[in-house]
Amino acid sequence: MALALAAGGLLAYALLWASPYGLRVLTVAGVYALASFGFQIIFGLGGALSLAQGAFFGLGAYVTGILGSRYGFDASVTFPLSLLAPLLVALPVGLAVLRLDSHYFALATLGVAQVLHLLVVNLPDLTGGANGVPGVPPFALFGWSAPRGLPTTALVWGMVAVGGLIGWRVARGRLGRSLALVRDDPMAAACLGLDVGRLRLTAFVLSALYAGAAGALAVHTQRVVSPEVLEFPVMVTILTIAVVGGRGRMVGALLGALLLIHLPEWFRGLERSYLIVYGAALLLVILLAPMGLTGLWARLFPPPGRPLPDPVEPPARPARNGERLRAEGVTKDFGGVRALDGVSLRLEAGVIVGLIGPNGSGKTTLINALSGLERVDSGRLWIDGRTMTNARPDRIARAGLARSFQAAILPDDATALEAVAAARLPLDRRVEWAEAHARWALERLGVGALADRLCHGLPAALRRRVELARALARRPSVLLLDEPAAGLTDAEKAELAALLRALAADGMALLVVEHDMEFLLPLADRVLCLDRGRRLYDGAPDGVRRDAGVIAAYLGGVGA
Amino acid sequence: MVTAVQLLVNGLALGAAYALVALGFVLVLNATSAVNFAQGDLVMAGGLLAVALAPLLPSAVPVPGLLLLPLVLVLMAGLGLLLALVAYLPLRRRPPVSVFISTIAIGIILQNGAAVLFGPEPRVGPPLLGDGVVRVGGVAVPEQSLAIMVVAALLIGAQHLVFSRTQLGRRLRATAQDPEMARACGVPVTRMILLTFAIGAACAGAAGLLLANRYFMTPTAGGDLILKAYIAVTVGGWGSVPGAVLGALLIALFEVGVSWLLSQPVAQGALYGVLLVILVLRPQGLFGEAVRRRA
Amino acid sequence: MRRGVVSLVVGLMTVAGAARADGLSFPVLVPLTGFLSLEGTSQRNGALLALKEAPAGLVGAAETIDTGTSPEAAVTALERAAGGGPVGAVAASMLGTQMLAMLPLAAELKVPLVTVSGTAAITEQNNPWVFRFFPGDAVTKTAHARYVVEELKKSRPAVIYQTTAYGQSGKTHLDSAFRALNVTPVFQEGVDPTAKDLLPVLTRALATNPDVLVLHLHAGPTALLLKQAATSGLSIPVVAGSAMHQPSTAALLEPAELKGVCAETAASPVSGGNPAVETFTASYRAAFGKEPDAFALGQYDGMMMVLAAVKAGAKTAEDVRKALSVGRHDGLAMRYASDGKGNMAHSAVIVCYDGSNRVPTLVKRYDNVTGVVK
Repeated sequence: MALALAAGGLLAYALLWASPYGLRVLTVAGVYALASFGFQIIFGLGGALSLAQGAFFGLGAYVTGILGSRYGFDASVTFPLSLLAPLLVALPVGLAVLRLDSHYFALATLGVAQVLHLLVVNLPDLTGGANGVPGVPPFALFGWSAPRGLPTTALVWGMVAVGGLIGWRVARGRLGRSLALVRDDPMAAACLGLDVGRLRLTAFVLSALYAGAAGALAVHTQRVVSPEVLEFPVMVTILTIAVVGGRGRMVGALLGALLLIHLPEWFRGLERSYLIVYGAALLLVILLAPMGLTGLWARLFPPPGRPLPDPVEPPARPARNGERLRAEGVTKDFGGVRALDGVSLRLEAGVIVGLIGPNGSGKTTLINALSGLERVDSGRLWIDGRTMTNARPDRIARAGLARSFQAAILPDDATALEAVAAARLPLDRRVEWAEAHARWALERLGVGALADRLCHGLPAALRRRVELARALARRPSVLLLDEPAAGLTDAEKAELAALLRALAADGMALLVVEHDMEFLLPLADRVLCLDRGRRLYDGAPDGVRRDAGVIAAYLGGVGA
Repeated sequence: MVTAVQLLVNGLALGAAYALVALGFVLVLNATSAVNFAQGDLVMAGGLLAVALAPLLPSAVPVPGLLLLPLVLVLMAGLGLLLALVAYLPLRRRPPVSVFISTIAIGIILQNGAAVLFGPEPRVGPPLLGDGVVRVGGVAVPEQSLAIMVVAALLIGAQHLVFSRTQLGRRLRATAQDPEMARACGVPVTRMILLTFAIGAACAGAAGLLLANRYFMTPTAGGDLILKAYIAVTVGGWGSVPGAVLGALLIALFEVGVSWLLSQPVAQGALYGVLLVILVLRPQGLFGEAVRRRA
Repeated sequence: MRRGVVSLVVGLMTVAGAARADGLSFPVLVPLTGFLSLEGTSQRNGALLALKEAPAGLVGAAETIDTGTSPEAAVTALERAAGGGPVGAVAASMLGTQMLAMLPLAAELKVPLVTVSGTAAITEQNNPWVFRFFPGDAVTKTAHARYVVEELKKSRPAVIYQTTAYGQSGKTHLDSAFRALNVTPVFQEGVDPTAKDLLPVLTRALATNPDVLVLHLHAGPTALLLKQAATSGLSIPVVAGSAMHQPSTAALLEPAELKGVCAETAASPVSGGNPAVETFTASYRAAFGKEPDAFALGQYDGMMMVLAAVKAGAKTAEDVRKALSVGRHDGLAMRYASDGKGNMAHSAVIVCYDGSNRVPTLVKRYDNVTGVVK
């Protein structure tokens, strides 16, 4: 509502009061808003600090500039090509560098931008060199050409509206939610079945498309293209707009662009000092609203809670008896230390297997190997009969495996419902369905009342319960739990045990790592004990306390 | 041969100054895990500070730069403290990218403040020792280049001694490795972070003073330097202090070497090209990361 | 609260317009920040000095707006200036790309742009609204090459230029000027302005055994290269581009390092020569506390020609344009007249440093290089 009014205000301003100069500044703000929408997708939602957004902007600008001025093509040719060129660069670059960690990714994208800039400056025959290419025509389509002033402003802001709407839908939809999950914890996202690499590549390519469109419009309004469009200040402006406006929010990009493009204009009269004032104003904004303008707005006027969806049971996997997961001879070395040494394991429907062993015996490594987080050096793995040896975690997850982590890794600023719904994103086509299914999982674990509470600040026992709901929501056939009882009271442990039994009774195969024997031994149907990466014991829970090898391992051989 | 030695000397002198820039950058990075984007502009501020202070010395002073160095270090440390108080401490619980933006803002203020105070022209700083040129078997070595290498080596050595041999250094390192743990062990973490910013800015100031004589200083010089520091720290292994110093030396030698063999624009492009290859083939940097992260 | 949003958004964009003056206004739109701020500041000072010396009542408020380094900022500044009341003429950025961006808009708004940009392309756009009061590269590079070949009698020049608009445009014209003189440079290479160590390029140039070093670099890099040349004991003469004549460039070097160095430029106000130039230099120093350069003088001459037209009765921007395109003006640096495309300056000079101080001496004057001024 506030947004609609603001849009109305903007429109009224543009139509009624704005001078040609005001319109031009507004147009520039629109161009930057468009480029920043794309940046919000890769950086705000996807969490990848891409410093190539300015380069894609420049690439779009050069394509339109050169084709428009030299060959006289109109926008029906140049505009699509201005989108295509950044796309064609973003694909191979993304494939090569998106797997890099944050700052390396940032530098790699910066490197791409610098190389592009150098090429443009040093290939004068193609690009006009440092002087650039003059005489770029205004935006023209099928004989109609947008005159300076209101029509151009309207054209740019029309594109901003379309781009913003698309971006807004992306951000709220499955892609946006999945990206946020990847941003907050890529490992957890992969274990929930999300293809991290493909998501990031999609986001990168989308961001490039936005940048290309913005670059094309920038050249149509300024009528020349020169290497300045590829220089670092453009990138810094886009980054600043995204952060000042509010990370990951399209409205944030809009507000940020309006503020940051107008800010220096207000102080222009101060001649050389105006940038000092601009810097100080920027500092002030980031100090007062570190979560951006949208964050500040949300703090001042908290949005009303959304109504919760009705719980809907997600479809279960076809029930099957017998073996669900099999590992054979799994071996893993860490720089000469053998963490797993030929471990074999079978998990069956309806059976709870306990996994014990002293610290450093390889329990967590085994779980990581089974869920695809560690590559094994030798050995094989099947889930439901399909071979999954050294498959990526998201593929293993989609094959029906779910796991928890020792420390619960729920995103702090999401509600319990959102956190659980995230687990359904790879399965449900729409966010609403995912949330309905998530509600069912929360109810099933008896924490339905927590649905609209933020994960941040939940007590440990409830966090574990929400995490379990997250695993359960996917209706996995195999569930691996890493120390689920740590930090729980006796009453809570009893409840947890009952829950796990109920899940097994539904036909799930469970593997539970636990130190707490009082909790585990009555719960497990079978117990597996590891020591220094080897299987020491595999059998009934009763036998484990009497097994000489196990006792020796736990007590270090003393008093056995 | 003589040419190669001559170029090596020039490359090492430039690399020594870059190393100081990268050192200040990586110290702050380790202590706060935040990128201080104003580091290049701090170098510029240090250089112009030296330019401004030089006329205050009596003209007969034989080693103007060396006399000014302690003063520049102290003043820049003060500027570093101010930077930490204004642009880092209020944002320490926020995402690191907030600090990125706040230091960009500081950089804009420094850059344009300098332009207003000093004007846009390039300025020449005082030489550390003198303007002379030592000739050794056909190789012309400006005294300033020698002085840059010696002073940079001494400052980097002193920093290393402080960090490895003193109680203060242990506390600073503890803060850099794990602030939470350090706090639990009774280390005054906030004071240590402030001190790190002061040391980082002092390094920048020294670099500025060293660069301003041989390579001049303009209010816009910081942008190029921060990129070099960023690359040096990445090539050397994110967070590794010796890696940053080595990385800076390598960059300077690479630039000088390739500029000589092919051409300067090619060297510029090749630097980024090689950087991309290194990132793709060896993402942990040439010398490995100082801190291994989870999974 | 909602009203808050609306007024925020509207307030955001309502920028106070420039103060309206009674007479014509003469906005100064030049780069005061970024890599051309040094030259831009000279432009500003030259323009402001001319406006200050104009007869009372002739000139409305002259707003100065920084154009930074991007074409976008220049176009925005022009639109802003045009909105502030009737404009007589604009003192416009010497950055070529900014001029190219402003030209179509200036034609639509009908405002003459008076600049000292050397970029050749700005007067090749068939745009009647541009007036260049500084010899273009076609003039200065002809003088540059002719001095090297005809006066110094050199035939193996090594050319080092900057990979910027200034450098690339100059290099292109040096090429054709040398070709016209039947000389082929033995070495040509670009250098980025951020390059710190110029020994590599100097070494490469000397390896081709040149008999003269021809530079076309910005101020800082020119000084860097000369300093390196002095360290290396360079034995061949150096003829530098116009950035060398800027007093701030010479200030970076010891007089001894300047010995034997020559440079092309449009004028060298600090070298004196006639009483009018000396008066200009004195009042420039008094007003801005700096030494004037050729850009300041060219911009001053340009604005003086504009003011003379206004004094002679020009009432509108169109009147000013007509006066500039058909009239002539005896400025302090030279005599100006348009060649029909807006090139007003057709002379260049060569200055040299003798090693005793930082003020160069005028050694050669090339007048009417393009054959326009009779």
